[in-house]
Amino acid sequence: LIEARDPSTGTEALRDALHAVARGDRAAFETVYSRTSAKLFGVCVRILPKRSDAEEVLQEIYTTVWRKAASYDASLASPVTWLVMIARSKAIDRARTDDSERTAPIDAAVEVADDAIAGVAAAVQDDERRRLDACLGELEPERRRLVRAAFFDGATYEELARRSETPLGTIKSWIRRSLLKLKACLER
Amino acid sequence: MSATMPHEPFESGDLAGEYVLGVLDADERREVAARIARDFAFAREVAAWEARLAPLAAEIVPVPPPAYVWTRIRAELGHAPRATPEPLWQRLGFWRWLSAGALAVATASLVTLFVQRPAPTAPVAPPLVAIMALDNGAPAFVATIDRERGTMVVTPVTSWSDTAHVPELWLIPPGDRAHSLGVVATGKPMTVSIPPALLGTLGAQAIVAISVEPPGGSPTGQATGPIIAKGNISGI
Repeated sequence: LIEARDPSTGTEALRDALHAVARGDRAAFETVYSRTSAKLFGVCVRILPKRSDAEEVLQEIYTTVWRKAASYDASLASPVTWLVMIARSKAIDRARTDDSERTAPIDAAVEVADDAIAGVAAAVQDDERRRLDACLGELEPERRRLVRAAFFDGATYEELARRSETPLGTIKSWIRRSLLKLKACLER
Repeated sequence: MSATMPHEPFESGDLAGEYVLGVLDADERREVAARIARDFAFAREVAAWEARLAPLAAEIVPVPPPAYVWTRIRAELGHAPRATPEPLWQRLGFWRWLSAGALAVATASLVTLFVQRPAPTAPVAPPLVAIMALDNGAPAFVATIDRERGTMVVTPVTSWSDTAHVPELWLIPPGDRAHSLGVVATGKPMTVSIPPALLGTLGAQAIVAISVEPPGGSPTGQATGPIIAKGNISGI
């Protein structure tokens, strides 16, 4: 996540800006947009193959941010997490109204990212991310790829089953067990 | 949908996790969204799953949206075309007022104003930015360049855990070698000066990069460690 450690420029500045947006501060809203829109558009573009859909959803995301900033609870989530999760939720909702699902095989879609993580892990790391990576690493590779594809592409069980050529019941069971394992691992 | 597998777990934690992961279909998502609104404990569970999976979002490559999206957002919300007032010295009215003969009155205040920031004689050059991303696309450092002052503010956007080494910043003009701009801070934004000779090379073809160097920076003037993050310079 985009989070500098310095409280004056990173998470806390964004948190303050969101609180200001909740009070109707338009300059703070522009700050939030300029600092986070590329990340949130990245989320949309990944989930929605059509660029015009991604642009419409980004617009919907930020009008929601303007209207719902008061409901942001800093004790529950960092500002970027809150924003990214709004973006994912809106983008996935839009993807569900559309028939143009991705058909690329799972392996081709996410294998590259898997390798890239290992390559950079040594120099720049984030504690939470390292922990999640470690717990994902405890899953079987095939299940890990499914979890990652679901997260990044917002793919349904049905889509995952089609793309990985695996029976739907098996996919559901794998994902559900993977979620339980992840939760247990992260709470250790 | 159900009873296809033995031992299918139905705990609320699972449903929240499935919702956050994004695997549910449209009807299931609507049901879950309604439940979030009325069931506080379940909403907490969803938030917990969001926190668990959020670190994955670091891998999402930022994609700057086209400028008209911001215009549309402001139009939809009924905001004025410009959300923040321009600085005084950039407003046309201010200069008209000056030229109308109030120069003497303004001189005293302008002296202090201009000491802090020279007034532009030409239109202000828009700032340039570069997102220096890791190989996996995750941003590591963000650079904002003020061409008039010849400075670059470099902000780390992820933590640096390698205490035995430091990040060194490099500017690579098109067709040229890498020029060191010095070691940058890992925990806070830092302003670095751009040598005047390199200022003219800043443009869409120029690259900024971060290499991993021994404390104090590269002893050779060339990068001695791996380039771990790089990005193109572009206008906002």
